[in-house]
Amino acid sequence: MTRRPAVLKPCEHPGKASAEDGVVLLDGPDGVAVAMTPDAAAQTAESLLRAAAQARASHGPAGNGDQG
Amino acid sequence: MITANVLRNRTAGELTEGERAILEAAVLETRLLPADQVAVRQGEPVNVSILLVHGFMTRRVDAADGRRHLVGGHVPGDFVDLHAYVLKKLDHDVAALTDATVAIVPHARLERIQSECESLTRRLWFLTLQDAAIHRQWIYRLSSLNAYQRIAHFLCEINARLLAIGASDGAVFELPMTQVDLGEVCSLTNVHVNRVLRQLRENELCTVRASRVEIHDLKALVAAGQFDSQYLFLNQQTAARACGLESR
Repeated sequence: MTRRPAVLKPCEHPGKASAEDGVVLLDGPDGVAVAMTPDAAAQTAESLLRAAAQARASHGPAGNGDQG
Repeated sequence: MITANVLRNRTAGELTEGERAILEAAVLETRLLPADQVAVRQGEPVNVSILLVHGFMTRRVDAADGRRHLVGGHVPGDFVDLHAYVLKKLDHDVAALTDATVAIVPHARLERIQSECESLTRRLWFLTLQDAAIHRQWIYRLSSLNAYQRIAHFLCEINARLLAIGASDGAVFELPMTQVDLGEVCSLTNVHVNRVLRQLRENELCTVRASRVEIHDLKALVAAGQFDSQYLFLNQQTAARACGLESR
């Protein structure tokens, strides 16, 4: 019997952002598929960077703490 | 014949002549619905169910912010709201996507089928269970697949369902949906849909243009959408064709 992988672990692969028709498309990680205005995308990027810094600080230098 | 596509090429097997006669006799009338007409409104009491004979229909849920979500799609042979027989009102709208021909089956006649024909009752139950299986897969598609995979998966599903009723040859089929409709099925913006369709074309998997889908490489499209037709309960031959494993 195949063991299923642990569920709902933080994704280790980044999403991929691209520009299309004046809109920012974010594909992944996993099932993420979002379209944002440039302003919303820029604010999301800043928010992500801040959160990443906080997460690293709270979980040591590896920065990829196991939340499971 | 009104019931020609009901259970066609499914694992449940075709309707017997007797079952088909009973089901045909249960039809009160056929109606023509123009495209976009809502056939059943959310929350309104219903005492008939709709068998789709020709055309495409959808189930729609309108979000609080005004956005419309297409939460189900129906092709000929589908008993679109058979679950209303038990529920008596729906939690969503049912609408014609194209001009459609529907057969109206009063619940009183379904009641008679239930009391008098066990085998047909079981087949109708199969249809609602199959419907539920499709819904589960639509949840999976939105929660686990990215934009490219979602569109590929949906196109594979529609191809498979149309294959089963002879409306696709596995390479070409009519899909009367706009990019907005595709976006409402796959929870994607028009820009996202547009780009994915271009990528599918550039990767030589399929071309979607003017309500027509031309599949260039079905196996690759199946792989791109991580599509497995098991949830459609197609018979073995149709399931193989739906995944590009068997020639026409």
